[in-house]
Amino acid sequence: MVRACLVAFWALTLLGALSPQARAQSNLVRMAPARRVLFMFSESRDLPGNVSMEQSVRAEIMRHYNRAEFYIESLDAGHFPTAEHYQLFGNYVQSKYAGQKLDLVIMFLGRDFDLGREMLAKSLPDVPAIFVVVNNLAPATVPENRNFTALFQRFDVPGTVRFIQQLQPETRRVIVLGGTSPSDRALLAEIRETARSVENLTFEYWTNQPLAQIRAGTRKLPPDTVIFLSTTQRDAAGDPINTAQVARLLVPTANAPIYVMSGGSIGTGTLGGSVLDFENLGQRAGSMAVQALGGKRVGQIPIEIRSNGVPVVDWRELQRWHLRSSRLPVDCELRYEPHTVWGVHWRLILLLSGGFLAQAVTIAALLIQRRRQQRAEAEILRQRAELAHVSRVSMMGQLASALTHELNQPLGAILRNAEAAEVFLQANQPNLAELRAILTDIRRDDKRAGDVIDRMRSLFKRQRLTSDAIDLRDLVDDTIAMARPDAEKRRVRLKLEVTPHLPPAQGDRVHIQQVLLNLILNGMDAMNNVPKSRRSLVVRVEETKSGNLQVSVTDGGLGIDADHATHVFEPFFTTKSNGMGMGLAISKTIMEALGGEIWMDSRGTDGTTFTFLLPPAGQERIRSGDLPAAL
Amino acid sequence: MTATPPKANCTIFVVDDDTSFLRSLSRLLSATGYAVEAYTSAADFLNRPLPERSGCVVADLQMPGINGLQLQESLRKSNHPLPVIFLTGQGDIPTTVSAMRSGAEDFLTKLAPKEELLAAVERALERDARERSQRHRQRELKQRFEGLSQREREVLSHVVQGKMNKEIADALNINLRTVKLHRTNITRKLGVQSVAELTRLADETGMFADGTYPKGH
Repeated sequence: MVRACLVAFWALTLLGALSPQARAQSNLVRMAPARRVLFMFSESRDLPGNVSMEQSVRAEIMRHYNRAEFYIESLDAGHFPTAEHYQLFGNYVQSKYAGQKLDLVIMFLGRDFDLGREMLAKSLPDVPAIFVVVNNLAPATVPENRNFTALFQRFDVPGTVRFIQQLQPETRRVIVLGGTSPSDRALLAEIRETARSVENLTFEYWTNQPLAQIRAGTRKLPPDTVIFLSTTQRDAAGDPINTAQVARLLVPTANAPIYVMSGGSIGTGTLGGSVLDFENLGQRAGSMAVQALGGKRVGQIPIEIRSNGVPVVDWRELQRWHLRSSRLPVDCELRYEPHTVWGVHWRLILLLSGGFLAQAVTIAALLIQRRRQQRAEAEILRQRAELAHVSRVSMMGQLASALTHELNQPLGAILRNAEAAEVFLQANQPNLAELRAILTDIRRDDKRAGDVIDRMRSLFKRQRLTSDAIDLRDLVDDTIAMARPDAEKRRVRLKLEVTPHLPPAQGDRVHIQQVLLNLILNGMDAMNNVPKSRRSLVVRVEETKSGNLQVSVTDGGLGIDADHATHVFEPFFTTKSNGMGMGLAISKTIMEALGGEIWMDSRGTDGTTFTFLLPPAGQERIRSGDLPAAL
Repeated sequence: MTATPPKANCTIFVVDDDTSFLRSLSRLLSATGYAVEAYTSAADFLNRPLPERSGCVVADLQMPGINGLQLQESLRKSNHPLPVIFLTGQGDIPTTVSAMRSGAEDFLTKLAPKEELLAAVERALERDARERSQRHRQRELKQRFEGLSQREREVLSHVVQGKMNKEIADALNINLRTVKLHRTNITRKLGVQSVAELTRLADETGMFADGTYPKGH
């Protein structure tokens, strides 16, 4: 048993030693020990610029050394700018990394180069260093025998001023904002220097104002003014704040576009500028680091001073300020531009759709022709049946109920007279004078009944539609006035929303009024069973994009069941116990005769909106383009 | 039950704004033998001081001004309530229910046959006669009760509650003999024989246990 185990153990060990993978691994470990790199930030590590620089440097190093260890330290000079703090931090770093055998330290400085270099020289004297210095302070003096190299990146002031002039040539005034730290002041000084040689532009420096005051001032800037936001490490009150934070504070209220030079502020609502490209800077620093880690003495890597900027613009801001993209520099980078499938593949989409469309149209045309014929026949039959129904029920229902009372008076009188006459005739000597009076009365009542019928019949005679230019505001006001007493009785609030300066509509005033009144009364009926707080009815009148006139009536009722929704415009459809189901059917007929359209939207239990469209004055039919898809 | 008085002793008050119908109906009712008075509005009818004689009202339900239901309401509150028969050109259910609930004798359409109309009139007159005699008896009883002295009423209120003479004497702090004397007077004045009859009478007139009457009687 023990022997077997031993044999197996040896076999496994041999196999493991011989496998090519294991051999490769052991070679690698021997050839490339892990590089230890310390990243040191003078500001917060979370600043957008620092984040992108760090990522670029890491990526560059990892491309050459797949085993590297990174350490991060942040001096946080924004909150602790004093020399004492630099000292304290230096001591801390010295003790912390004493036994760590660092291969390289990369310091990202947004502040005074000398302060940072002295601190590092004391705390990590033997570690090669690369300084990435981002500011516009005066160039530093460099000692002969150095154990570091540096990359000085300056902000592109002239480039940004040119960018403003190119994108907004109408600009007359530039409001300059910036911070109060030494780096901030150095950059502002350079802006002043550049501004001196710029013609046709007035530069105003709001650099000593509290942020609240700046915020108020940028709310209502005169036209042809832009804001130029320089870097900010500290505000006028001396409190730490970074450029992106200032941008976020101003963007919501400022009425002029904001230009920046720091790439980290793009995306916060600023427009753009010739900005510092932190990614590119990080790549450059990364390649320096690779050289240093490869064994080259950092003192031999030449020091670089760069002041290049990349024109960058936020596409969304370009839209917001209605600026022409044709004025952008040719090499300008558009950020946040939506990339649609259409934008990328529009040629292919057009070609394919064209083919499909041609095919589909041919097939559809043939089908439609056949269907249209069938449907027209069915429609005629259905309308005929409906019409027959209309006349039958009208005669028996509406007409009869209206006539009953009017006719029952004379008929009742005739009946009573006839009955009285019978009683008289039973007497031995009938009173002939009385009987004669009775007959006269019967004759008169008979004529009266006939007149009632004649009068009713004239009401039912077909009325012609007229067509005039109609002032809808006037019409709606009149109709609301008619409905108001009823609304007050039912505790319904009537709200009227009319677009001012409404053009006239074409139609028949009386009939349009009939439709609107019917919709208002229906709306009030729909709110009979809802709490008083919900009983409000909104009548809205507006002109549509296509130039039609639109009137809508929205109630706060409980909506219309989906089953019912398709039938509301059909004759004799009603949900009311005392309804005839004719109101909406008649409204639809009227709208069709006027060249308009009427439809309904039910928002479930949030009420219902009935809308009708009328053509503008001088037009016979509504212009297309306003109808909901379902119609 | 009191018998219906002869037709000629009853007056039918006809109220309708339609003069033609008003005339034909009055004609039929007087031909049938009733005394008829015709009015073209409810206001005219209500302004006329009504005689103390039996009768009923036949009124149109839909009239301008005071309508049929309001007319009935005014009559019900007056000293001489009369039964009302409604006529309508077009009867709808809510109005009918409301009319019947407030005591309408009948509810007919204007085209109802003569027989139905006359039957309704007869029923209304019967009811009027019944209510009239009831009112008469109550008034008479009330008068008799009012003939009692203050002390007799106090004694009576205890008697109706079923108390013994001794208890009454103690309660009113009077002599037992005086109580007996009061009781004799009460039965004589009211014309009753027994306590049971006495209680029933007090009940009928609506007398309270303390010897008072409800207001408005």
